[in-house]
Amino acid sequence: MQTLFKTLFKCIRRSPSGQDEDRDRFLAKTENFRLLLAANNKALEGMAQATEDAQSSAVFSMAHVRAQCLMIASNVRQMIERLCLMAPGRYDALRDVFNARVLAMEKAMDEGALVDDGPLVLEMEDICADSVPQTGAKMAMLGEVRAALGVEVPRGFSITAASFGRIMEQTGLGDEINRLIQIHDSDTLDGLRLLEESIRHAIDMTVIPQDIEQAVKKSCQIFGKVRLAVRSSAIGEDSEDASFAGQFASKLGVKADDVLEAYRRVVASAYSSTAMSYRLNRGLRDDAVIMCVACMEMINAKAGGVVYTRSPMGRHDRQVLVNAVPGLPSAVVDGSSLVDSWVVDRESLTILDRHIAVKDVCHGVATNGRIIRERLSGERSGAPSVDDTFVKELVQQALRIERYFTHPQDIEWALADDGRLVFLQCRPLAVCEPHDEVPSEMERTEDAGAILFDACDVASPGVAGGPVFPVAADEDMSQFPDGGVVVSRSARPQLSVLMAHASALVTDYGSSVGHLANVAREFGIPYLIAGPGAFEQLSGVGVVTVNAMNGTISLGLRQSQLDAAVTTDSVVLGNDVRMALQRVLPCLVPLSLTDPESPDFVPENCVSLHDITRFCHEKAVNEMFMGGERLTSNARKLVGKTPTQYWLIDIGGGTVETADTARVTLNDIRSNAMQAVWRGMTAIPWDGPPPVAAGGLMAVLSEAASNPALTPGMANSMGERNYFIVGRQYCNLQSRFGFHFCTIEGFAGDDPTENYALFQFKGGGADMARRSRRTAMIGTLLERHGFIVEIRDDALFARIEGVEADAVEQALVVAGYLLVHTRQVDMVCADIASIDRYKQKFSTDINALLSGKMTDIHDWRCGA
Amino acid sequence: MQKIKLLLVDDEKDFLTVYARRFIRRNADITLASSGQEALQAIRDAEFDVVILDVLMPEMNGIETLRRIKAIKPDLPVIILTGHASSKAMIEGMDIGAFDFLIKPVGTDELYFRVLDAVRSRRQAQE
Repeated sequence: MQTLFKTLFKCIRRSPSGQDEDRDRFLAKTENFRLLLAANNKALEGMAQATEDAQSSAVFSMAHVRAQCLMIASNVRQMIERLCLMAPGRYDALRDVFNARVLAMEKAMDEGALVDDGPLVLEMEDICADSVPQTGAKMAMLGEVRAALGVEVPRGFSITAASFGRIMEQTGLGDEINRLIQIHDSDTLDGLRLLEESIRHAIDMTVIPQDIEQAVKKSCQIFGKVRLAVRSSAIGEDSEDASFAGQFASKLGVKADDVLEAYRRVVASAYSSTAMSYRLNRGLRDDAVIMCVACMEMINAKAGGVVYTRSPMGRHDRQVLVNAVPGLPSAVVDGSSLVDSWVVDRESLTILDRHIAVKDVCHGVATNGRIIRERLSGERSGAPSVDDTFVKELVQQALRIERYFTHPQDIEWALADDGRLVFLQCRPLAVCEPHDEVPSEMERTEDAGAILFDACDVASPGVAGGPVFPVAADEDMSQFPDGGVVVSRSARPQLSVLMAHASALVTDYGSSVGHLANVAREFGIPYLIAGPGAFEQLSGVGVVTVNAMNGTISLGLRQSQLDAAVTTDSVVLGNDVRMALQRVLPCLVPLSLTDPESPDFVPENCVSLHDITRFCHEKAVNEMFMGGERLTSNARKLVGKTPTQYWLIDIGGGTVETADTARVTLNDIRSNAMQAVWRGMTAIPWDGPPPVAAGGLMAVLSEAASNPALTPGMANSMGERNYFIVGRQYCNLQSRFGFHFCTIEGFAGDDPTENYALFQFKGGGADMARRSRRTAMIGTLLERHGFIVEIRDDALFARIEGVEADAVEQALVVAGYLLVHTRQVDMVCADIASIDRYKQKFSTDINALLSGKMTDIHDWRCGA
Repeated sequence: MQKIKLLLVDDEKDFLTVYARRFIRRNADITLASSGQEALQAIRDAEFDVVILDVLMPEMNGIETLRRIKAIKPDLPVIILTGHASSKAMIEGMDIGAFDFLIKPVGTDELYFRVLDAVRSRRQAQE
């Protein structure tokens, strides 16, 4: 590194004023200027990425958005600091402007992530629909039906949003969780699991504030020996467009003394890998999680289940679906067992269909309060869980609830051993848009012999195909291929992690009213329940087509079925994270400060962070080359036979010493790096504007007219400020060529580890599509010559590092050539053939240049 | 090539080890500190070219540590590197005079270049 310092900052051979103080000040300025430019590039790069993200359909987390915004902001702040160092005292006002903009950015980001104030604990008697912000919808809806309809619900209380907020704030747990999310890799399942573990540990380590502990203990007193169910009731959970079905934990059979422990478990389940990946894929915010927890007495159930007051498939709108199992209803929703089912007519309450399954397990509460899993056999496994009379009564009550909320309901119920019907949960039911069934006869004839399963239960509609991927255990999931068909024995809610990547889903067991089915419908993935043996039979068969229109699974990709399927427009879902990013963009990117000559060009008028970068950049250029005292004399006009529009600043050994403080000639240049750049720029003259393909020129002109930053006055004023900063082995060129903004930088010394060449550019006069095409073409050429290239939209960043000096020089020749010659390309880039032609020409030219046939330093002929 | 003397302050042991290993390969002399107090002691005891500092640490947080470092060695460049993506911490840190504010995870290259910038900036200001 020292060689570089020496070269750049010590060996000043030419010091026009002859004073060390001046020289040092100038060098400090140069260094600050360089850092300012680097920060400028990074900030603009970040802004381009944020803009792209806001429009893309890619999934990303709030942690990503937060980091992105902060990265942009910290680079902008870096620019301010550098500018303030370049001209002490002159731009201090920028800091206040910046701080205000960042606060606005923060506010825009946090909208919708508010923690409610209120009581730490709320009793069921005091809970109604208005309690949603304090207790979450699950608890609030139970409180509401109890108060309004007089239906029976369990006794209980809610540990509220205020408690959650207090814990997150007071103990620093919220910051810690955000930090863990920030530093962990959440792109992979393994990364997510590690993250889950770290967060759970952090939650375990957190001391729950005493007032919360007291309040919970007090509420528990009335229960005595009765066990509790401690269940999630997160804000936003169970809403119509984001069910979070089965994502969060429920603890059953909890002793009053252990409620706080169970509370921790439920809170931690908000950060399970399943829940986090669900949020990521659904675009929901991790930092908006508010986990309220419902604590309710356990009902000693002899049967339980779920009622859907409409078919979730939306086809049979006169039907109510009832599912039931003996014992606790948990087996219905977690998909672990077959269930009894009834279809009941909404109007007449006639039972239209009844299916009594052979049930092999039953969950119950043991006398000691523990939850036990009992095997069923013989008569018990074949008996109906409840009788038809009860089913009718249940449907009647369920329809009352639906009428009250004026929306189809998904209701969980239990039949207590003393005969009471108790409602455990009610929530809005998402109903798919009805569409016509594909006539099943057609495929059967056409694809005869290929059908592996038919008459499967449809749990989520659609048709899709892909390779079968059997999931027997959680570990299998990390290998899951995009577009695979998930095949599993049971409908474990954990499988929802895969929904964003799967094409279809098949399980042996499960039900259309289970959690997993809910999630599959949310993601618009066809889901079939194929019955016992499907897992074994499908494992290893390769590619299948899952037709959840007619309930069949066929071997291979059945194009006719895929084509015939009505594409289910999956409901356009709100995406909180993208919305937060979109809200934040106005604080970041719009450029309102465009005319540096205007009296309005002042810090106070910087509305966005982009404005601040624009302001800093302009002022830094001024400070460097226009402003101030004798130092201006360091910048000299570069002349050939005629003056060029380049300025040159020698920071040490880059030019031959002359007495002329105003001009420097091409022959005076000693910097090997600059010689290379100049050779690339001039060895092959620019042909002038190319013949323009139809519409090409218009496209360029209309873009120029609509983009104030590209108005001619602007281009000219910047055009006067193309400058080389050179040292003996160093060159930095900042240039605005027409509509392009470009940086070339290189150091070509004796130590390869210090050597590098950079080429960056952005912009152009044509529309984005042409600019991107041209950028891609240049990227290919650069890669061919050893650059590592990164492209974002029309912005290109290319670099070479750690090579010998002559390799850097060659790279700089290539960069110089491309700088000059590519500006003609965006006019013709509508036309792929002409792109190829240019690519061919550029390639030939560059090879000629590098083979040493053209080594002279040419005079400036481009007239740029 | 002269070695860069770098002080790395973070309460997370894993993080320290990983970055220390990566930087040693890049010709840097690394001293580790796992708390603000340790960091202050280290800079009283030895000369450093640059400090990399975490924000969320028990007892003395990074911002407070930065304030005290600046009181002892005003010109020692401090790069804040944190998983705590907070604007407030960023503004406070930069107001106190941090050289830069970076958010984890940061690539080794990127961090190394920032370290070089910080070191160069200071050496050049001293000359």
